Amino acid sequence: MYAGQLFGQALVNGILVSGIYALAASGLALAFGVVKFLNLAHGEFLMLAAYFGIIVFSTYGLDPLLMTPVVFILFFILGAAYYKALVKPVLKAGELNQLLLTFGISIFLQNLALLIFGGTIRTISVPYRTHTISFWGINFGTARLFILLLSIVLLVLLYQVLQRTRVGRSIRAVSQEPEGAALVGIDSESVYLIALGIAVGFASVAGMMLSIIFQAEPMVGFNFTLKGLAVVVMAGLGNVYGVIWASLLLGITESFIGVFLPNGTGWSGAIFFLMILGGLVVRQSRVRTI
Amino acid sequence: MKKYSLKYILVAAAAILAVIFPFITGEYYRHLAILTLMYAVLALSWDFAARAELVSFAHTGFFGLGAYTSAVTFLKLDFPLYLSFTVAVLLTIVVAIALGYLTLRLSGIYFAIASLAFSEVLLVVALQLPKVTGGAMGISVPSLFGGMRVYCYGLILGILALAVVVSLYLERSHFHLAFSAMRTSPSVASVLGVNTVRYRLSSFTLSAIFSCLAGAFYVHYTTTTIPYEAFNLNIGVASMVMAVLGGLYSTVGPVLGAIVLKIIEEYMRVTIPYGYMIIYGLLLVAGILFLPKGLVGVQNKWKFLK
Repeated sequence: MYAGQLFGQALVNGILVSGIYALAASGLALAFGVVKFLNLAHGEFLMLAAYFGIIVFSTYGLDPLLMTPVVFILFFILGAAYYKALVKPVLKAGELNQLLLTFGISIFLQNLALLIFGGTIRTISVPYRTHTISFWGINFGTARLFILLLSIVLLVLLYQVLQRTRVGRSIRAVSQEPEGAALVGIDSESVYLIALGIAVGFASVAGMMLSIIFQAEPMVGFNFTLKGLAVVVMAGLGNVYGVIWASLLLGITESFIGVFLPNGTGWSGAIFFLMILGGLVVRQSRVRTI
Repeated sequence: MKKYSLKYILVAAAAILAVIFPFITGEYYRHLAILTLMYAVLALSWDFAARAELVSFAHTGFFGLGAYTSAVTFLKLDFPLYLSFTVAVLLTIVVAIALGYLTLRLSGIYFAIASLAFSEVLLVVALQLPKVTGGAMGISVPSLFGGMRVYCYGLILGILALAVVVSLYLERSHFHLAFSAMRTSPSVASVLGVNTVRYRLSSFTLSAIFSCLAGAFYVHYTTTTIPYEAFNLNIGVASMVMAVLGGLYSTVGPVLGAIVLKIIEEYMRVTIPYGYMIIYGLLLVAGILFLPKGLVGVQNKWKFLK
């Protein structure tokens, strides 16, 4: 394989995984942008959905990608319940309480999964899992291609909902100016509920995808929280639109480091930290207060 | 005066018990006590950061950094023990200031995110530099004080005593007022002339130093560690749960939390393996929702110790 081909392959691989990053991170960004709430347990919903997909696939043989709408609705309800039961009580309390609470939930769910499913890695072996299509000597994994397309469709759908529907306009209004939104009669309670429902729903779809092209294990959700945070910090906290390019940057950088650096696959797990630091340095330079 | 004297009697009794404990018990309880004191140091150090309204997930990272720096300098460079501890502390100070400088000017959320990522990235570095750290196989050092548990106990009790002294200083000096002002309203505090960034940075650095000391002690005490153990997220989780449950922003709270939780954990480790981290998660959630002032707060309700 000559250098150009290798370069192209690395680029394609990076782009193909960035869809799943964008889905996971857009939920995180939406929850932060609207509810002003950093959900450290976000990745755990992704992990739960991945196991859900695996169980349904192994018992009924249903393709996870076909189950997407059902899973989205189920996890939307779960997200709404999560908001009602756990998020709402600490929304008025400080950052410290919010962070510790969601972190506690994350630890709880991780270890619950470890207890129930064990530490072994699991995957869904759909028939097209290892199938690839080749163009100009570059391989496109069919499953990854499907998943990228589905992510694009879902993100476009989200942006259309945010831009064009009444619910979307309410969500944007609450996110930009909570008090103003309340003055014109928008019920911020239900907006928060819907935003967190969508966020958890998107995480669950990313989780289903993850069980096809990567693998599920109890810690996978936490890794996605970290990567999602890197994307969200780069895009600017709460900026749903910036998530796309930030995810592309993360996916492509990881892929290039993995291919071109000696022992690179291990190091690519550290890229997200550099992205967070880089994002902070940029933001830092804009803060002139102290 | 009467209500104060009871408090002092209790504190003196606890101190005497802490000193004579290793002489009146067997090896198993000595070992348990050493780990409890180590977690008390970690919990107290986590609270240092919390006092400045910082949610630090970096404690796992500093624990592992302390363990690895001390072990590597001790083994590869033949440093004596005290020098390897000193190097670990110096490196921790540099790293803490660098991390703090990059993140503490922004809202606390950014700091929390960066500190969470920090611990994970150190794990990757420890795994990826096998020539220095021994990689996934880990690193082994000769046992501390030839395995004499009484001396180990003395060392960790000394570190805890130092942490308690620092904590009492923070409670009684200008730090206390600055921290209270910052927790109530950061913007008002900075308008009043409190240099919030500097206070945050110093409390974060102090807290990093004590996590590092706990880590350096840990590796020499257990004689061996691997990256997945030294940089295990559960270390940070345990220290924050102990501080939250015992009572934030106090000296007694985190230490009390460490003792109570370590006893519960040890009991559960015998009865149900694996399960105890689930309990830690639950306790963190329950502590935030139902026990905002921790065990110390419950105690204060009964008034007789206040």
